[in-house]
Amino acid sequence: MKKYNLLLCFLFSAYVHMVGQPNCEAYKYYGDTLKYQACKAAEGRKGHYQFSKTYQESLDKAISIDPSFAYAYKAKSTAYLKSGDFITWKELMDKAVNNNPIENLDYRGWCRFQFFRDYKGAIEDIELLDSLVEYDIGYCQNGYYHLNVAKGLCYKALGQNEKAIEIIENQLNHDDHHSGLFDYLHLGVLYLELGDFHNAIEKLLIQADENDLAENRFYLALVYKSLNQYDDYVSNLKLAREKYISNNKMFDPYSAQVDKIYLSDIEDEIQIAKEKGYDF
Amino acid sequence: MNKYLPFALIFFIACCSQSPSQYLRWVGDSVYDANLDEKNFSLCNGENRVIQYFNLGDGLTYKGERKGLWKEINSQYNSIDVDESGWIRIRFIVNCNGQTGRFRVISADESYNEYKFDNRITDQLLEISKKLDGWEVKVSKGQQVDYYQYLIFKIQQGRLIEILP
Repeated sequence: MKKYNLLLCFLFSAYVHMVGQPNCEAYKYYGDTLKYQACKAAEGRKGHYQFSKTYQESLDKAISIDPSFAYAYKAKSTAYLKSGDFITWKELMDKAVNNNPIENLDYRGWCRFQFFRDYKGAIEDIELLDSLVEYDIGYCQNGYYHLNVAKGLCYKALGQNEKAIEIIENQLNHDDHHSGLFDYLHLGVLYLELGDFHNAIEKLLIQADENDLAENRFYLALVYKSLNQYDDYVSNLKLAREKYISNNKMFDPYSAQVDKIYLSDIEDEIQIAKEKGYDF
Repeated sequence: MNKYLPFALIFFIACCSQSPSQYLRWVGDSVYDANLDEKNFSLCNGENRVIQYFNLGDGLTYKGERKGLWKEINSQYNSIDVDESGWIRIRFIVNCNGQTGRFRVISADESYNEYKFDNRITDQLLEISKKLDGWEVKVSKGQQVDYYQYLIFKIQQGRLIEILP
């Protein structure tokens, strides 16, 4: 079942990208001819790279037809986001949010967290969205996290670990929650950082069951080390190295992820273990 | 000959009345500027074939991974005691030999408004960035490529607290 949840997560990610394209006919159906025309103009970007002149100019044309067409600002913003131009990106996304907060606060909030580590800004956007809608606020753009889990990670970054745990546990306990790729890893690390080793092991083992990565093995090793359970410490360190080398690890092509580890983290810990007399 | 003159004039007016695009090839392209850029830095595959660091799906690639990069930067940056917080982005090209050039800087306060940080912060980060020499060469279809890379430095009260992406 848990494997199916992960599959759903991937499918949802693909779905998010698909529904990102507006249905122009819907504007026509509801009698908004201006938005329909803007939407049709925006279709000129199809098949062109987000960074390209044609892509951007098609969206400019859409905005010139209807300056309240929020989608065009959001679509334009992506190239600026991915090139690290936070000033232009934010200007564009503010326009998208001002014109349609319900459909754009999720993206702005997530990007503030993922690309700029703007934790307070991300929390503001996610909480504002939550206050505006009656339904589930949903998942982040890449489908990796429910937005409430992302909010919890922001609180963790602000030093509020207990609050982060409460938010993430609440979300994971929802009947309709589908596990994200790293939910239990983050939760396990939060417990580890608070010194609650029992819960840390429990959550990290759930992560191992759902999506076994170098990261959960590495943090499990640290928990067992704290508990003086050296056999488990060594075996999990070995597994962490194996998984890292075979690419079973956290990865995002755009930016670093929370709780991600690197090969040097594992090798440094192995060195410590070797100095204590353990073989690798 | 004269009978073609009106058509030629119309063609000329139509061509010249088109305003030039505000965009370059791609968003964020950095055109060579003799006042800013090293003459010796060259692209291997031409201006139109510079890709983004994430285009090949392998993300940021540096000797010792991101951790190695962060260590290198953190070990060189000296905090400046000023009441300034926000982000500084330094974007540049890594060429097919792993050399860097065309450095461009933008910066903003915590509200994402353009903001000029104390020169001791910006100049220091620019110099550190220029000295980084562990960028890995990216290869696409057997050919070594040129690519854009950026670093975002999150600054709080003059201290460097995070390095992105």
